[in-house]
Amino acid sequence: MAELIKTLNLDVPPPARYFLWLSKALGIFIGKPDFGNTAILRLPVIDQIAAAIPMTIRLVTIATLLAIILGITFGVLSALRQYSRLDYTLTFLSFLLFSLPIFWVAVLLKEYMAIEFNDFLANPTIDFIWNLCASALLAVIIAGFVSGTRKRVAITWGVSFATFGILFFLASVTHWFRTPSLGIFGVAILGVATSIGLANVFAGLSNRKAVFAGLTSVGIGVLMYYPFGILANESTNYSMLASFAVLVVVVSYFVGFLFTKVDRGPVIRVSMLSAFFVALYTLGDKFMQAWVPYYKLSDGRPIQTMGSYNIILDSNDFWVINLDLLTHIILPTAALTLISFAGYLRYSRASLLEVLSMDYIRTARAKGMPERDVILRHALRNAMLPLTTLIAFDIAGIVGGAIITESVFGWRGMGSLANEAIQSQDLNLLMGTFSITAFLAVMATLAADLIYSTLDPRIRIRK
Amino acid sequence: MAINFKKKKTVQPVEGNETGTMNIETQGLSQGQIIRKKFFAHKPAVIGLIFMIVFAIFVYSASGIHLGTDTAKFTIKGWWKYSHEDLLPPGLCAAGCPTADHPFGQIPNGRDYFALVMRGSEISLMVMVVIGFLGGLIGTVMGAVSGFFGGIVDAVMMRFTDFIITVPSILIGAVIGYNVGNLGVFALAVFLGLFAWTGLARLVRGEFLSLREREFVDAARVAGASNRRIIFKHILPNSVGVIIVSTTLLLSGSILLETGLSFLGFGVQAPDVSLGSLINEYQGEFGLSPWLFWWPGVLIVLIALSINFMGDGLRDAFDPRQKRQIKRKDFMAKTSTRDAVNKR
Repeated sequence: MAELIKTLNLDVPPPARYFLWLSKALGIFIGKPDFGNTAILRLPVIDQIAAAIPMTIRLVTIATLLAIILGITFGVLSALRQYSRLDYTLTFLSFLLFSLPIFWVAVLLKEYMAIEFNDFLANPTIDFIWNLCASALLAVIIAGFVSGTRKRVAITWGVSFATFGILFFLASVTHWFRTPSLGIFGVAILGVATSIGLANVFAGLSNRKAVFAGLTSVGIGVLMYYPFGILANESTNYSMLASFAVLVVVVSYFVGFLFTKVDRGPVIRVSMLSAFFVALYTLGDKFMQAWVPYYKLSDGRPIQTMGSYNIILDSNDFWVINLDLLTHIILPTAALTLISFAGYLRYSRASLLEVLSMDYIRTARAKGMPERDVILRHALRNAMLPLTTLIAFDIAGIVGGAIITESVFGWRGMGSLANEAIQSQDLNLLMGTFSITAFLAVMATLAADLIYSTLDPRIRIRK
Repeated sequence: MAINFKKKKTVQPVEGNETGTMNIETQGLSQGQIIRKKFFAHKPAVIGLIFMIVFAIFVYSASGIHLGTDTAKFTIKGWWKYSHEDLLPPGLCAAGCPTADHPFGQIPNGRDYFALVMRGSEISLMVMVVIGFLGGLIGTVMGAVSGFFGGIVDAVMMRFTDFIITVPSILIGAVIGYNVGNLGVFALAVFLGLFAWTGLARLVRGEFLSLREREFVDAARVAGASNRRIIFKHILPNSVGVIIVSTTLLLSGSILLETGLSFLGFGVQAPDVSLGSLINEYQGEFGLSPWLFWWPGVLIVLIALSINFMGDGLRDAFDPRQKRQIKRKDFMAKTSTRDAVNKR
């Protein structure tokens, strides 16, 4: 008893005890914070937090990145087609997502994306009615992106409906969902389609150099399919993947660089993004090859609903282990992405609309600049600046605030640590998580301010 | 909640004289009439408003009104035949499926789920309104004082606000809920409301900062108006748009916060029920009796959605730059009348 009083400093009056705690906790500024020990097991709090932070960061990074990319893309589309069907649909969707309670979404995802999908995998055939409905729905979504006359929309719908119908039928017949693979042809077809799409967005199909640069990158990527397949065996590691990534960046940059002498920006962008997507497809194909052994190892229930990795996974294969991480992260990421997506969508839409009504946009149009350049070079860059602040707040918010998602999906991150601390009245642990979360929030805001002032020369920090 | 994602929609740049059109639409109308007209022209907002009114009346009349503590209860019985506390014999099917007698089904120990959901909605709505009211009130006061007086007052109050903002509201809420959850629902709502004002305070402060530099404030001061008079008679009416819109959005944030906390077990405690705690309790029954899971969730979404739409409608209504959205069909007609006006 006396010893406990001594270690907990219970003989010191509470206000003074607070300063004892504070003097140690302030070590955060010299990189050596000490938040004391947890209440029951007497483990150092800082170790618990250090174990939890990587989990949270993994979850938050992927979800935030996806939400930013999707949100900006759809927000820009929505703004460019203001008051169109697409705009109304996306606006309604964003309001719906704003109103969704995340715990409810999370349980729904568990039920429909994990349990039902796993049940479906036991007998991966798609019946005819289901195929028709799903294809029709997907085709409606695709057709929604097309602007123009009713005829054009109808043709798009018909073509996408037929394509999805055939694809679903083939997937059903070949049991694709159980034994998925893209193969070199799949990678090539997807790569070419993506590259042409990218060229259309960033440079326009009339810019032949951009189209050819993109296709060359795709070609090099497809040629690398077999060498990569041989090199990337089960003892691959992250540094090898990183060097591949560097290689992809360098090669695609030079492809774009060599193709043109004037106005290199769009060409290099198309080439690099094409290469990125081909690399992504190749990587995806590699994971698909690991799907079959993983399916067996997970007893036929590959999409996981609890935890961040399978503790009893019996495999040394790099790809299987990473696939395991992926199948665990997919559901919480989907839940978090859905919730933050709406914010980015609304914000980028509003921001772009505001910029588009500026005088310098009118000037750019008046001097005969192509609309694509007006949007990409003048409007978009200025419209996306304010997003840095939003991103910083969002990241800071989720680091401490993924408490619901983490508890539903059984992740041991910062949120569930805080949850546990409150449940067990563990003050040291709670103060530790609070302090770290608040510290990160302050740092994120500071970083946002600094980045903002670098990106936008109009804003200067007062000397 | 803290971040105002939806910035003002900008006016679509149509050529022609903007003030010309404004005059036709708003000729001879007072400020209040213009706002009302614009709000009722915003269809989703009106639908949201009607839904909220009908839903609130439905809920409160169905489950009755429950006031007071356990010892001195004051209740008015609602029109629904069962109470959420009645233990009833199990229904026809084992999983408690919906029947004509129990439209939302029954929970495993036989209680009528419709009564439970109504009671949960009642509590969730009450918590939402209390949080929104307190948050709105404190936020307005803090923002007004800090924006109007500026200087050291502003610095102290805003650093205090920043201090609270750094910790995510759900974490603060969880700590509050754990400590005061057993004091009853109303106490929980009050304590949550005491921490919900930060975003609003910053917005109101910004509004006050820009308004206090305007000429009409100088004029009032020269005329000898006191600070109190300037705040209440001159600046506050001009910032009422910001206050109403953000309070509305605060409401939709609070229902998500409360149900989230109740879901985690930090909010409304048994024997009281909220929509969140119902979802938490019956998420395990999803496979067998999914309706136990669907009803409370759908109601939360509907409540939050209607409030968000109302907020959007209010924002458009209070924004003087915002004109009514022009539909494609009427666009030609509109432009031709505008041309006629411009030529005049």
